[in-house]
Amino acid sequence: MTVWQLFFQQLANGLTIGAIYALIALGYTMVYGVIQLINFAHGEIFMVGSYLALSVLLLLGISQPVTGLGLLVQLPLCVGVAMIGCGLLGFGIERLAYRPLRQVQRLAALITAIGISFFLQNAVMLIYGATDRRFPAVIPSIRFEIGGVTVTCLQLIIWTSSALLMITLQILVMSTRLGKAMRATAQDPKACQLLGIPVNRIIAITFIIGSSFAAVGGMLFGLYYNTINFHDGYMMGLKAFTAAVLGGIGNIPGAMIGGVVLGVLEGLGAGYLSSQWKNVFALVVLIGILLFRPTGLLGERVADRP
Amino acid sequence: MRRVLKRQWGRWIVFGILVWIVAGCGQHESPVIKIGFVGPLSGDQATQGQDMFQGAKLAVDQAAAQGEILPGYRLELVALDDQRSPTQAVAAAKKLVADRNVVAVVGHLNSSCTMPASAIYHQARMLQITPVSSNPQISRQGFDTFYRTCATDDLQGPAAALFAVQELKAKRVFIIDDMTTYGRGLANEFEKKLKGLGGEALGHEGIVQGDKDFTPLLTKIKSRSPDLVYFAGMFPEAALLIRQRRDVGLGGYFMGGDGLFDATLIELATPEAAKGIYLTTIGSDIHRIPTAKHFVEAYEKKYGPIGAYSSYAYEATHLVIRAIKVAGQKDRQAVLTAMKTVKDYPGLFGLQNFDAKGDSLIRDIGLFTVLGGKFVFLKTASWNSSTE
Repeated sequence: MTVWQLFFQQLANGLTIGAIYALIALGYTMVYGVIQLINFAHGEIFMVGSYLALSVLLLLGISQPVTGLGLLVQLPLCVGVAMIGCGLLGFGIERLAYRPLRQVQRLAALITAIGISFFLQNAVMLIYGATDRRFPAVIPSIRFEIGGVTVTCLQLIIWTSSALLMITLQILVMSTRLGKAMRATAQDPKACQLLGIPVNRIIAITFIIGSSFAAVGGMLFGLYYNTINFHDGYMMGLKAFTAAVLGGIGNIPGAMIGGVVLGVLEGLGAGYLSSQWKNVFALVVLIGILLFRPTGLLGERVADRP
Repeated sequence: MRRVLKRQWGRWIVFGILVWIVAGCGQHESPVIKIGFVGPLSGDQATQGQDMFQGAKLAVDQAAAQGEILPGYRLELVALDDQRSPTQAVAAAKKLVADRNVVAVVGHLNSSCTMPASAIYHQARMLQITPVSSNPQISRQGFDTFYRTCATDDLQGPAAALFAVQELKAKRVFIIDDMTTYGRGLANEFEKKLKGLGGEALGHEGIVQGDKDFTPLLTKIKSRSPDLVYFAGMFPEAALLIRQRRDVGLGGYFMGGDGLFDATLIELATPEAAKGIYLTTIGSDIHRIPTAKHFVEAYEKKYGPIGAYSSYAYEATHLVIRAIKVAGQKDRQAVLTAMKTVKDYPGLFGLQNFDAKGDSLIRDIGLFTVLGGKFVFLKTASWNSSTE
């Protein structure tokens, strides 16, 4: 293995986890963009997504790699159920836990978010048990060798699905009526209400989209690591939040770039420095970037809302 | 005059009721004697904690079935959860110490939990027997309240190194540990012996418990192409390492310590990827010890397949029960003194004796491999510690 092969291999490793961080970071950034709430329960929604995907796979009795028809029917079914389930969960959380608190001080919603996060963790622990669950490897393990760098079929799926979702979201936000309403709500919810934009519905839709993206992240996470646990959401949520801040919270391409940068930094840090300093290295870089660009890589300086 | 009498009667009635209530309270204060149990009953090591708990429970149930262990006292096992976190372990220890009905404790699982908790039990003069915390530093603190029923890592590490160098002919080794008291301690003992035997440590790195992505580390290890990768840690991380090791195409042997000895490891890592890994255990194969036959049968009848750590907890609990019986009273100091009289106690693993530090003198190290999705016992390796 030459120096460059090693470097690109580490880059590929980092890109994969980075793509998953990016998918989760989108949910943080969207919700923050619209209602300035750091939704700490988002990491748990991601974890619920991976458990929902696991449940569908177990119900369908899939434990071996699927081919042909399975790839076209069973996997989309699995992704669909996870996305819809998490979308509903996100909607429910917003409706029951955040909306009643929207008019009081922001700290109340933040603490509620932490409470929801504990609730979801313990609910999943009671339903699925406290031990690690094996997530079946349903994607055929095909490896490609490109100039000495090994890339698996699954890694390609993770990269492309993450990129596609990101592009779809960007188009949705930038060039549809719904997206326009979202951006308007982010700027000034009171004025939106005066203009007849259904602010509550827009906020609910934001939660649904963010949560269903987290569900995709959860399923990809399960497929890639093959073990899931009820407290996976905590660390992944923290990392994705870091990615969102790194890219500029509230900014959609920023979340994508933040996730990928964080993943690659971790990969290179663990690969070239030492794996025990992996998290430290990534967070030191975050602090460094925020010192010079307090709004993150792509963040814009916006006026504070009263 | 009559009025006064009436009033006095009233007083007497109230007094009588009070006496009756107080006496009632006395009757309700249950004559109970408790043994504490602490281990990770939730979280990613919950299975191993549960295995330990069931071993302890079986011992208590057996003792209770034979009648009262102290005349007039009911025996009870209080189980607390430390979630493998040192902070929770200390909280649990303080809780047990505060309950005056608790005379001794069986626990904890992780060395990083046993270490800080042992100081609290020592201060409270309460007997602590750890079933499986194998870090040798714990007994070197000089606490006379501390006992342990398993072999220590200053034997396990060297045993693994000896096997790697002499039998697998693996000289170039990369060492990984999980940065816990147990993992780091075991890895250091392994490294010391490896170097003593002329082997070479290509690197020694830590990973974080609960982390999932070890591909960067494994890719780096692959570029150094070692003969063997040694991992000192617990099975959830080991399963990921074993699986991702195959995914990045890292060849050579894989070896670990007793933290890997759990059937979940093979399930999580998949039998194909786990095939051919080696691991050492802090004791011989329980199924091959004649004196443990009755225990294995009773356990499996009640709880199903036996866990790696069940037998040590069972042994530790029976030792506590014996100490209470010998002491003949509900008193922590008396139980502790009684524990010191153990000599050739007929335990599960043979005749049990302890050294001055409280470590068991039964020091078998088992060697296992994985074949056909199961742990397969290879042999027992016993060493006398050179530090003695």
